[in-house]
Amino acid sequence: MEHPKKSQSCELYPSKKEIHNYHGVVHSVISYGKEDDQQLNGTLSLIQESEKVVIEWRPNDVSIDTECQEDTEWALVNTNTRTRTSSGSVDGALSKLHVNIMLNDVKTIKVSNKKNKLTFTLKDNKQKVFFFHFGNVNQFFEELRTTVTLKRSHHDSNLYFVHDKNAIVQSFSDLTLVDRGGDTVWNLVGDLKRRPYETTLSTFSKLTELLLYRNPEARPEGAMVEILSSLSSTDGCPEVDDSYHFICPVLGPRKLEPRGIPLSQDHWETAKDTEGKIINPDHIKQIIFKGGITPSLRPELWKYLLCLYPWNSTKKEREDILNEKTEEYKRMRAQWSTMSADQESRFTFFRDKKSLVEKDVNRTDRTMPFYAGANNPNLELLSDILMTYIMYNFDLGYVQGMSDLLSPILAVLGNEVEAFWCFVGFMNIMYHNFDEDQSGMKKQLSQLHTLLTAVAPDLATYLDSHDSGSMCFCFRWLLVWFKREFPLEDVNVLWEVLWTGLPCTNFHLLICVAILEKEKNKLMSAGNGLSEVLKHVNDLSYNMDLNDILMRATGIYNQLDQSSNLTASTQRVLGLAHDLISVQQSQSEPEEIVGEEKIDVSMENGYEKSIEYNYF
Amino acid sequence: MAKTYDYLFKLLLIGDSGVGKTCILFRFSEDAFNSTFISTIGIDFKIRTIELDGKKIKLQIWDTAGQERFRTITTAYYRGAMGIMLVYDITNEKSFDNIKNWIRNIEENASADVEKMLLGNKCDFPEKRQVSKERGEQLAIEYGIKFMETSAKASINVDEAFFSLARDIKTKTEKKLEASNPPKGGHQLKSYEPSRKQTNWLSKCTIL
Repeated sequence: MEHPKKSQSCELYPSKKEIHNYHGVVHSVISYGKEDDQQLNGTLSLIQESEKVVIEWRPNDVSIDTECQEDTEWALVNTNTRTRTSSGSVDGALSKLHVNIMLNDVKTIKVSNKKNKLTFTLKDNKQKVFFFHFGNVNQFFEELRTTVTLKRSHHDSNLYFVHDKNAIVQSFSDLTLVDRGGDTVWNLVGDLKRRPYETTLSTFSKLTELLLYRNPEARPEGAMVEILSSLSSTDGCPEVDDSYHFICPVLGPRKLEPRGIPLSQDHWETAKDTEGKIINPDHIKQIIFKGGITPSLRPELWKYLLCLYPWNSTKKEREDILNEKTEEYKRMRAQWSTMSADQESRFTFFRDKKSLVEKDVNRTDRTMPFYAGANNPNLELLSDILMTYIMYNFDLGYVQGMSDLLSPILAVLGNEVEAFWCFVGFMNIMYHNFDEDQSGMKKQLSQLHTLLTAVAPDLATYLDSHDSGSMCFCFRWLLVWFKREFPLEDVNVLWEVLWTGLPCTNFHLLICVAILEKEKNKLMSAGNGLSEVLKHVNDLSYNMDLNDILMRATGIYNQLDQSSNLTASTQRVLGLAHDLISVQQSQSEPEEIVGEEKIDVSMENGYEKSIEYNYF
Repeated sequence: MAKTYDYLFKLLLIGDSGVGKTCILFRFSEDAFNSTFISTIGIDFKIRTIELDGKKIKLQIWDTAGQERFRTITTAYYRGAMGIMLVYDITNEKSFDNIKNWIRNIEENASADVEKMLLGNKCDFPEKRQVSKERGEQLAIEYGIKFMETSAKASINVDEAFFSLARDIKTKTEKKLEASNPPKGGHQLKSYEPSRKQTNWLSKCTIL
């Protein structure tokens, strides 16, 4: 039973009233910051002391614990009471470990459900961390919420700011928006009331400057969010005058370099040593990045790019790998192909996936000669590989879009086993696109917004103010890496370019940025809301020049790479700031970092909010 | 620019993957059928303006991906839809069974007074039929909604279905408008758009 028990008021302390404590936190562990890793079991209580609310943590007194009453359910509560009532005589070492946190002194509270962890950051930036062994961190937090006003951070949905009535004034002075004097601050607040929009916008330009150009440590996030949440709750805001723009980092001039020529047969032959190892894979990848691969070489090169063969493998090793992989494939294939109809009748998961595969195979690239016509045997190959992938990755199974990812690979390689393993390699890059909760897609849409803000801030601002800031109109682009946007030959080139992993992480997002920026004027035509934006984007399908887009995207990358005033989040998305990442990683909790990028939670929330509320 | 329509109705097509949502929409908007169709990724919409009782009605019909996995994306579009076509495939029992799940989705995500209609598609394929017309009718009666069997391929009942749904929305809309806005003559009916939540323009700064 994890049900929280509210304890009775603590009668021995007439001025004190224990609001709540929980059986579930009896075994809580406290860690005193990162330097001191002591972990002790104890009880966390919420106590009302005259006007103030105190969070109290007490370590368990083992001796008292063992002598407690028969009724185990109440024994622990009584133990706590006793611990406190006899606080004077309790072992000094234990009493020193008591923690009292005045809620007034708390700046932020962070709830981490996964880790059952509650972190209090005090105004002096000290942290108190509690782990809830019984998993009822949320219950405690909800109780806490009833006693104090909390505001959720825009940046981190698990972070809450403790409301302080004087926050606005404090925030402004913290921000040093004005050089001196409370009067100026009050004037500003007064101006806000009288001329809210003009004042806000001019203030924001300062804020933006502060956010963009000051070092991250100096950014008073708490104050920022406080102001934002206070101001944004103003009802009846009129539309923003488009003449106001936020200050954004200015990028240097863009150079558009022509694309290179595809990797040729001759070049490829000289790339191998006598044993068949690729001498300089980075050079080969560079060539592919710049110009793609001559079609006849694709079947061979794609096996490297999609990790079936290591670049440094010898010819002999590759033969061995293929033999081994062929056996493995056959084994997995037999696992489903030998399933009888009777077995299937009791295997809903399998049946459902099989039916989805059948449906999608019949409608994947049927206009392509390789898959055209009724009873085309290649359809069966497509289906077999997808079915075997279900056996390879049971957790993922089959999700719509995957047939689009496999189809070009099978068409190029023409070999079932090789196509399967290359598909596995591609899926290793793409599987987050098919997350159950779509978090991988949401994250990318948010990262795309970050990049767009850096490259085309006016467009990003426009989309934000026209119900389109969620970037959901790019969903199809990202889900299947533009498979539906370009003719097959272009898709082949685009994918091999992206498979090189050059010139940075998430280059595919810069492809999106390049397209959007190119279409900027049309997207920003008067009155375009989400439906017009979505329509325009969907209609771009098969109407784009891939070479031009790749040139633009590369040019944009170079601009960003050479810019010295990118935001940290832009750098993170592209993997440009290694020193920054390591510093932030050491400062942050590990669970927040996914790969090298922190999820921009505020945008994720914005995504849902935008399509939920502003869609129609 | 003068509006070329009296009403704008936003409709949504939902149902299991492969039941023919996109084909129904293609038949209705282009009066065509393409046998080399593709699965829908993400979301798209098509427009057709129809005329009912002398009123021009612009139908903006949204087509969604049917697979469960994409429901977190697609359900966000339920809100604001004025009419929803629930589509199943008469040759696929499972797609019919799942209608109850789609109904639940609507209840959870769409506005309470959204007009609904049940369509049993692929009725040109009687030899493969798994769901009888009577069962379709029965289910529709249970939910108190209209029902039709359709064929996008053979162009059976597709126009009729959309006209019927549009008519029901129109009737409801006009009733609502009359109640809240007594007629002063002329067309004052264009304002049937759910009120937009104020775009929170300040929030953009949080992403800087």
